[in-house]
Amino acid sequence: MKEKRKGPISRAAGLAEGVAATVRRMQREREPRVLVYDPSGYARLVQPEARGHARIMEIAEQMVSRGEGREN
Amino acid sequence: MADTLTPEHAAERLCELSADVRAAVLLDAAGSLAGASDEGGWEGPDGARALGELARQLFEEVDRATRDWDVEPPEQVEVQVPGGAVFGSRTPRWTLAAVAKRGALSSLILYDLKALLGELEGGPPIRRSRSAEERAAGPATEEFAAEELPMPELGGDAPADGGASA
Repeated sequence: MKEKRKGPISRAAGLAEGVAATVRRMQREREPRVLVYDPSGYARLVQPEARGHARIMEIAEQMVSRGEGREN
Repeated sequence: MADTLTPEHAAERLCELSADVRAAVLLDAAGSLAGASDEGGWEGPDGARALGELARQLFEEVDRATRDWDVEPPEQVEVQVPGGAVFGSRTPRWTLAAVAKRGALSSLILYDLKALLGELEGGPPIRRSRSAEERAAGPATEEFAAEELPMPELGGDAPADGGASA
């Protein structure tokens, strides 16, 4: 259970912790990665050292660069 | 009544549903291009076809990478790369792939992909809410408001007399 913070400095520190956690989470979500989902929606990570990972990333990069060219 | 979704318009519909999607392509079971978003806006005449070919190769590589896994073949894929993200979803008949902006919300795009493929397979159409400005002015009555509410029709099989018996 989260400890209740008392005092303005403690509350400000709590807020900063929350912002930092959000930034960390957003950075983690944007890290290069390959996820596959089974029909029930369960996600599995294709490990960077796995067979085909490099080729999947390469193809995705090509697709993104094609899509970028179309952005307004 | 909503228009029936056709393969030619599925990719375009995806771009309408999600502002984060830059481009999308639909492939048929043979891996041939069945539709693309905004075909006139592609760089060169073969742009959409090239993206479709890359989408086909992507699923091929995903299948190769997961071949030895003790699970069902993946239905959806998400690839995050420095400049953006690629999402793909497939059914036995169709493969829909999208290129999205960096930071796009994966769960929403994957949901839209699945919902659109479901609609192509004869599932229920995706309902889009309209803003008050877009909507044609109508009488402020309960009947008019009820038409706008996405309420499921309950008791469709109930007998005509209401079936109220103790």
